[in-house]
Amino acid sequence: MKNRKKPNEKQDRKISRRDFMGAAAAVAAFTIVPRHVLGGARRIPPSEKVNIAGIGVGGQGGSDLRALSSQNIVALCDVDWRQARGTFRRYPNAKKYKDFRIMLDEEDKNIDAVIVATPDHIHAVASMAAIKRSKHVYCEKPLTHSVHEARVLAKAARQYKVATQMGNQGQASEGTRLMCEYIWAGAIGPVREVHVWTDRPLRGLDDVYWPQGVGRPTDTPPVPETLDWDLWLGPAPQRPYHPAYAPFKWRGWWDFGTGALGDIGCHSIDPIWRALKLKYPLSVEASCTLVNKETFPVASMVTYQFGAREDMPPVKLTWYDGGLRPPRPDELEDGQRLGTGGTLFVGDKGKMLGYTLMPTSKRKSFGTPPKVIPRSPGHHQEWIDACKGGKPAGSNFNHAGPLAEAVLLGNVALRPELKEKLTRTRLLWDSKNLKITNLPEANEFIRCSYREGWTL
Amino acid sequence: MRQRRTTTLPSFIVRDGPCNFRSQRTDIRGQISEDRCQKTEVFWLYISSKQDIGEISYMRNLEITAERQDKGSIESNTQQNRGAGLSRRDFMGGAAAAAAFTIVPRSVLGGPRHIPPSEKLNIAGIGIGGRGAGDLDALSSENIVALCDVDQKYAAATFKRYPNAKKYRDFRRMLDKEDKNIDAVVIATPDHTHAVIAMKAIKMGKHVYCEKPLAHSIYEVRKVTEAAREAGVATQLGNQGQASETTRLACEFIRDGALGPVREVHSWCNRPISPRGIDRPKETPPVPEGLDWDLWLGPAPERPYHPCYLPFTWRGWWDFGTGVLGDIGCHQFAPIFRALKPGYPTCVNACSSGVNSETAPLASIVRYEFPQRYDFPALKLTWYDGGLMPARPKELKEGLRFGNADDNLFLGDKGKMLGHRLLPESRSKEYGKPPRILARSPGHHKEWLDACKGGPPAGSNFDVSGPLTEVVLLGNIALRMGQMLYEKGIKLYYNGPKMKVTNIPEANKYILDEYRDGWTL
Repeated sequence: MKNRKKPNEKQDRKISRRDFMGAAAAVAAFTIVPRHVLGGARRIPPSEKVNIAGIGVGGQGGSDLRALSSQNIVALCDVDWRQARGTFRRYPNAKKYKDFRIMLDEEDKNIDAVIVATPDHIHAVASMAAIKRSKHVYCEKPLTHSVHEARVLAKAARQYKVATQMGNQGQASEGTRLMCEYIWAGAIGPVREVHVWTDRPLRGLDDVYWPQGVGRPTDTPPVPETLDWDLWLGPAPQRPYHPAYAPFKWRGWWDFGTGALGDIGCHSIDPIWRALKLKYPLSVEASCTLVNKETFPVASMVTYQFGAREDMPPVKLTWYDGGLRPPRPDELEDGQRLGTGGTLFVGDKGKMLGYTLMPTSKRKSFGTPPKVIPRSPGHHQEWIDACKGGKPAGSNFNHAGPLAEAVLLGNVALRPELKEKLTRTRLLWDSKNLKITNLPEANEFIRCSYREGWTL
Repeated sequence: MRQRRTTTLPSFIVRDGPCNFRSQRTDIRGQISEDRCQKTEVFWLYISSKQDIGEISYMRNLEITAERQDKGSIESNTQQNRGAGLSRRDFMGGAAAAAAFTIVPRSVLGGPRHIPPSEKLNIAGIGIGGRGAGDLDALSSENIVALCDVDQKYAAATFKRYPNAKKYRDFRRMLDKEDKNIDAVVIATPDHTHAVIAMKAIKMGKHVYCEKPLAHSIYEVRKVTEAAREAGVATQLGNQGQASETTRLACEFIRDGALGPVREVHSWCNRPISPRGIDRPKETPPVPEGLDWDLWLGPAPERPYHPCYLPFTWRGWWDFGTGVLGDIGCHQFAPIFRALKPGYPTCVNACSSGVNSETAPLASIVRYEFPQRYDFPALKLTWYDGGLMPARPKELKEGLRFGNADDNLFLGDKGKMLGHRLLPESRSKEYGKPPRILARSPGHHKEWLDACKGGPPAGSNFDVSGPLTEVVLLGNIALRMGQMLYEKGIKLYYNGPKMKVTNIPEANKYILDEYRDGWTL
């Protein structure tokens, strides 16, 4: 674990020297001042257990808690107790809540850390409330619902010196490490083009996980007894309950979710982010199927341009979802799968599908790259270790924040309100100032506006 | 130098090697006589209306022979070219190409009635409620003698417009009864009935104007094209853009070498055609009065009537239409085919926003790969629909619109072109217009009328538009194999002359439609 962060630290130092993209503060926070000196979060020795509260525990939150069950699960919060009942049953000693604000108030002294696995539109307010109480935070991907929230949340985590981790567990995998190591070993030369795709929201070719490209329902069925709809809405604009939103299908709705890009982008762009040392895109553009103000389009392509980084040339990253894919590379032999989701690196000296060099002959002749990245004890364990004073977790918010920002910026380029304008330009991004420079009206979509009674 | 560029010699013929289009052409042209230019122009007009790669090869060989006689100094270059010309058979399979330019003049065959230019053509319209009405308008200088539609209500306005025309529901009855009164037919029915109608008309020696796509299946296209060639009738596909100035400009820029060798073309259309990506309806509402549903179905498999099929919305249903690619591809690909002569692709691959056995997808990307032809390098042609587009080219200045709803982006080694405008704008201004090497059209419909009256073949006659339509329809086969290709993302390898997908035999079931009992091609 000792050298785990080395490649990134090296990169960060270089960047901060150049005062590149205002990243200096981010790095300083965890490389210079050890956490325990500053106080804030309770000091937990490795021999002790972390007291964890779960917020949003019916879906992915239930799985996260299971992965953390070696620790104390002390409190559980869900706005839908029917959805949460399986998890409630598993932890009979945990106190049960509907409102995370009340839970944090009442259990403040009993909680060291929280898991946030609510719909996307709640991530930031729930995580922020916890961070401000110096609780360590594990937050599901995407880190937040808007670009602005991701920036502010990462900053707060630095200030309060809490241990953080985003729920993109693939970052801890061997595959992520191999992708980086092949590229850093020069297996495909400098990379100028990357393609990354998912078939979501498709489930097979004629079914979907959640609908996109649909309008708002007009009927207003009664709110299920077990659901607190007002709390489910949280900071999002008021609208009547409908089963089209909860559970799970909120992913397709602009007000609550972040589409396929938000759902999968933080997973699948993460290894690219690391391998190519990406920080902030210079521009983003998109094309998609018909899109409305209610839901994300059925299928989209988003293209990011990144400038040169260290010894790496500018790179174009193209995202595809809803069944779209990049062209099948010639180097992929007949009969080999391109896959319904995947990553294709195009280098000056070759191509790599995921961490598989193409063609097979090249993979064999190249062998394995030097192991320069330490392997992970596991994604959730990384965070537990960090909570107990260990190294920052692999997807701590200093890393996950900029990644989530880029992912969410892609969604801005899909906004129906900007569609006509975006036929004449791409969105030029000033990451330092969190601003789209060439289309002022687009900045409206960098932040979410909150309902009365809710703040970050 | 500028002035010299205005002479009318096609650069395509005299350039040598893939890289030095303009300079070499100018060098060579500087030394050839005005007389030669004239001859070439005549040839070129013929070729440009025929649009067949076999003929270009044929012509190139003549040209090269002539050059060798004229000018010993380019001997070494032309040797190479001649080799390329002769290799035509190797990659095209030769058959179609060869047949195309052995055409016997129509007058010798005595099929269709000889119509002097002074006389009017007697035209029958089949499928006249929608696009057919527009076509008839464009042809209204002629005699509209008979009209046929399976939907009396939809056709009512057109019926009223031509009160003297005889009215029919069944094109077979009309053609049989009016045989002697009809010289030519306009077909603007749904895609699935194009071929059976065109074939019957052609066999009766009628000239045919058929809306795009030429047919519903590749096999139908091939058969109709061959039949038209044999019968010597004048044909035209309804892709009127081929007659436009912009199509010519796009071709002329490319042939002038403005882009250098073109290796990639992106083509798109954002047209939404509903419904797509949906299943067959289960309810069976009554057939509306005035509609002969059985005739509307024609050769397509039996299914109950539903208003989700017509009018117009049949385009999204695989049994009847051909999706956005079929609808718009024949328009969009026409300038690409004219400029780059891609022939048949070696393979095609597609992805989409989801596809089922009933309807075309809401959005799709179809990727064709064409082989090297002569000194054109291998070409990748990518089609996007449903709102998808390629990424904005860097050369396009911020603030300028990226393309129209339908557009083409040509990427060459030396430049890019959006539609018919060179990128960036500064280059476009500096370059000016390319030399005019293609004859201008008297109008898309007029081309066909002229052809019917013994003039040169129309610009999108079936020898040109048949192969084009086959390529378009091949893209749909790739889409329809979706479920199979979905995970593996494999390419369909294709033998164009043999109309066969070689690596996935299952795909070949889509090459040809099965007809209902009672229907044949």
